[in-house]
Amino acid sequence: MVRSIAQKEFLSTLRDKRFVVLSVLVLLLLLAATVVGLYSAHTLQQERMVAQEEVNHQFHNSQDRHPHRMAHYGSFAFRPKSSLSFLDFGLDSFTGASVFMEAHRQNSANFSQAQQSSSLIRFGEMTVAFVLQMLLPLLIVFLCFGAFTQEKETGTLKILLSQGVSLRRIAWAKIKGYSKTVALVVTPALLLAAGLLFGQNGFDLHPDTVWRLLLFLSFYLVYFFIFIVLSVIISALHRRSSTALVTLLGIWILFCVIIPKAAANLGNTLYTTPTKAQMDADVHEEVAKGIDGHNAQDARAGGLKKELLRKYGVDSLSQLPVNVDGIIMAAGEEQSTRVYREHFDKLTNTFQQQNLISELAAFLNPYLAVRHLSMGMAGSDFSHYLHFQEEAEEYRYKLAQGLNHLQATRLTYKDKTTRLSSDTWKEFKPFSYETPPVQWALSHHVFSLAALFLWLVLVCTVGFRLIDKTQIV
Amino acid sequence: MEFALEARQLKKEYQDKLALKGLNLQIKPGEIFCLLGQNGAGKSTTINLFLGFITPTSGAAYINGLEVADHLLKVKEYLAYIPENVMLYPNLTGLENLALFSSLAGFEYDKEQLLFYLIEAGLPAEAASRKVGTYSKGMRQKVGIAIAVAKHAKVLLLDEPTSGLDPKASNEFSDLLLKLSSQGTAIFMATHDIFRAKEVGTRVGIMREGELVDVLGTAALDANELEKLYLNYMHN
Repeated sequence: MVRSIAQKEFLSTLRDKRFVVLSVLVLLLLLAATVVGLYSAHTLQQERMVAQEEVNHQFHNSQDRHPHRMAHYGSFAFRPKSSLSFLDFGLDSFTGASVFMEAHRQNSANFSQAQQSSSLIRFGEMTVAFVLQMLLPLLIVFLCFGAFTQEKETGTLKILLSQGVSLRRIAWAKIKGYSKTVALVVTPALLLAAGLLFGQNGFDLHPDTVWRLLLFLSFYLVYFFIFIVLSVIISALHRRSSTALVTLLGIWILFCVIIPKAAANLGNTLYTTPTKAQMDADVHEEVAKGIDGHNAQDARAGGLKKELLRKYGVDSLSQLPVNVDGIIMAAGEEQSTRVYREHFDKLTNTFQQQNLISELAAFLNPYLAVRHLSMGMAGSDFSHYLHFQEEAEEYRYKLAQGLNHLQATRLTYKDKTTRLSSDTWKEFKPFSYETPPVQWALSHHVFSLAALFLWLVLVCTVGFRLIDKTQIV
Repeated sequence: MEFALEARQLKKEYQDKLALKGLNLQIKPGEIFCLLGQNGAGKSTTINLFLGFITPTSGAAYINGLEVADHLLKVKEYLAYIPENVMLYPNLTGLENLALFSSLAGFEYDKEQLLFYLIEAGLPAEAASRKVGTYSKGMRQKVGIAIAVAKHAKVLLLDEPTSGLDPKASNEFSDLLLKLSSQGTAIFMATHDIFRAKEVGTRVGIMREGELVDVLGTAALDANELEKLYLNYMHN
């Protein structure tokens, strides 16, 4: 019974030229977004890999230098593109791709795609995620708005019911039929995406990538299902197709445009972030209260020197078994890093509170839920960006302190002329970044996951109860 | 005896209107009962109550002895419904439409059987494989009849089925009804067409403002007398 109606819906849709044209357009967009996205991500990844290898090579093959000169020479950390970021660019286009790592300074990531592109990027990019999140629901609306209203308008609903089928069964069969149609539009593009991804030269098939891809697909399937059920319910509750369509378009605008913007604005209003200039000034002011390794007259450095003399029981700094300059540099680095981390944590906390508003808004809107989960699985969300920034900072700190340690142990007091051999730099492991595992990514989107699940349960329970209230006459 | 269709004090009241005022009616198997009345008289309300699409305010409707309100799905096994305009699914062929509706009623037929039912209902064989969107109203009504026949319905509920049909199509439709009634199908037809009612009906009921004001046997009446009586009721 259900199969017959589902098959009828599927067949009728395939024979509807208007829908076929619309579906082909969406499919072409999906295919184009897949190919272009993959090509773009692949190119960026190659560029970053080459750049990372180049800076690592430059660092390891630097000429003989004083370790503190080397600390200022610094290095770069390039953020590798995650395997699935071609499906959802997320924040990648707006967050930086590289961090300059040097002593005393905690630089943020720079050179985002948006900085290097025209302002058109602000209108949004044509990514697989954009098509799946915004255009597919629109296609579903056009597919399903007449699910019940057309049957009412033509009188076929009465004939269907007189054959002994219940409203719920009709609704379920229609949902099944429409799901099949949507699958027909989406599957070729997703198969192409998987094929291109796994077929790439030298692609390392990591189980984590497979899990991420499977979850990415599952979340979208649930999202489409929610939209299909919602559209069928709205159609069942209306008498006329025109009013059902207007209601559904209103819901689409509310879900995909108004609530996300409102949530973002509310987040910004409730939790304001300082400007970069303000934060830099605050950090600078506080760091200035600490030890200045470059200032021989610095009072706090003097205190540290006295403490060292006392600790080692010697009269002069030159008698110390360690180079006090390196110790002071290390202490300064420790203090400036602590200050920076405090400010950075505060800033991150504010961003996370802003994001929390958006995550909670997912309970009002499945679009936001799938958007967060999609970016999370693609590794292009704020959490992944933050993870990279923290790893880069961790590396920078270890690098700076490693070089300070060299200065403290291999150089003597006030020795500014000795150069360490270039082989020394090879002792430092190059920066390498691993995308965190899928569980980690999921743990950062618990609210979105719960919201998507709640929406699914809600449309399947309350929704089907509403179907029973359909006015037949 | 068990009636194919029965109404006992059947009443339907909407917020501001009493649409049906305690209808009492019994229709036997093989009988064709035609219900005449103006628009808004309560004819469609009566059919909708028998179909279970609306719930009665009081009283009860019965199909094959089962109270409709208590056996909403079960009673559908016995009845078939043909509205004024059988729209069906325009993107499906006549065969596909019949296959779909038959399978919903629990009957799976092969192509030959489906074709047999369509031809039996008077649809030209060549039209069966065409999309219903290309059919005339008369052809669609025939598919509607084929759906009812293929379902082996014991009760046929028709809501102004010949309205808008040309005389030839109307005559063919009447012949089909007579054939079905001779096979034992009880037919309840709401119509404006006095002459068609006289031609096919065993009995004719006249409904005015939700009330069945008269029931007449058609054997003793000619069409003109029936029309006079009907107009008389409408003017008083």
